[in-house]
Amino acid sequence: MFYRLLNTLDKKNAFDRAKAHCDVPCGIYDPSTAQISALTVVRMMDLMIAEHADHDHGVGHINSMARYVQVKEEHAENAKHEVRIIWGDYFKKDKHPNVDDLVHKIMQLGSKSRQTADRESGVAFVEVINEFAAIFWETKGVATKKANAPYAPALEMVYPDL
Amino acid sequence: MFQVLRVYGESMSPEYQEGDFVLIMKIFRGKIKIGDVIVFQHQFYGTLIKGVEKITGEGIYVLGRGENSLDSRRLGPVNPAAVQGRVIWHIRRA
Repeated sequence: MFYRLLNTLDKKNAFDRAKAHCDVPCGIYDPSTAQISALTVVRMMDLMIAEHADHDHGVGHINSMARYVQVKEEHAENAKHEVRIIWGDYFKKDKHPNVDDLVHKIMQLGSKSRQTADRESGVAFVEVINEFAAIFWETKGVATKKANAPYAPALEMVYPDL
Repeated sequence: MFQVLRVYGESMSPEYQEGDFVLIMKIFRGKIKIGDVIVFQHQFYGTLIKGVEKITGEGIYVLGRGENSLDSRRLGPVNPAAVQGRVIWHIRRA
């Protein structure tokens, strides 16, 4: 009875709304995109190192180097973006408090991988994202395994053991 | 002192369903208890309804009922001054 009365009143002169707000994510989260992007960063670094070792520093060399740098930039930023999405939209702060520090480290190494051609930074970038992926799969109750990527630079990666 | 509001959204489901009405009473600082369902103002999201999980020196920690609820896990604690009232009557959709 009260509901009907209020409903009628609401139609004539709407009551204020109290939002039981949901952040509606699509629910599809997967760190593999970030992992592949980070791996691509190291691959580009390797190609840059090889290109630099080649003494032909003509126009072709400059063109190749520019392309490698561009792809390295894009993938380092993409890896950071993908991690930020999972961190911001998936992880709950009260359940995974340690992820904050790890994500901060990922952001820093991602930036260093953009700023420099330092392979050690690139490898460290892959490693911390692997660590992030392991935590992510743990929250899903999915076991993980480590294996070398089946393509260059063939670094050790964390994969879901489905 | 009293206000009727209509619930919009599903973060308090199944207890509070979209379309339900709530009667709230203005409450004063210190009168909020764990387990209360409160209505408060948020600078970006407007008028929100959530359950009180805990009360700390930083503010009121509120939670929805669902995993996807936008609440203190994302928004942080609620300033007591932003609380509009406590639900004293829940009128469910027939």
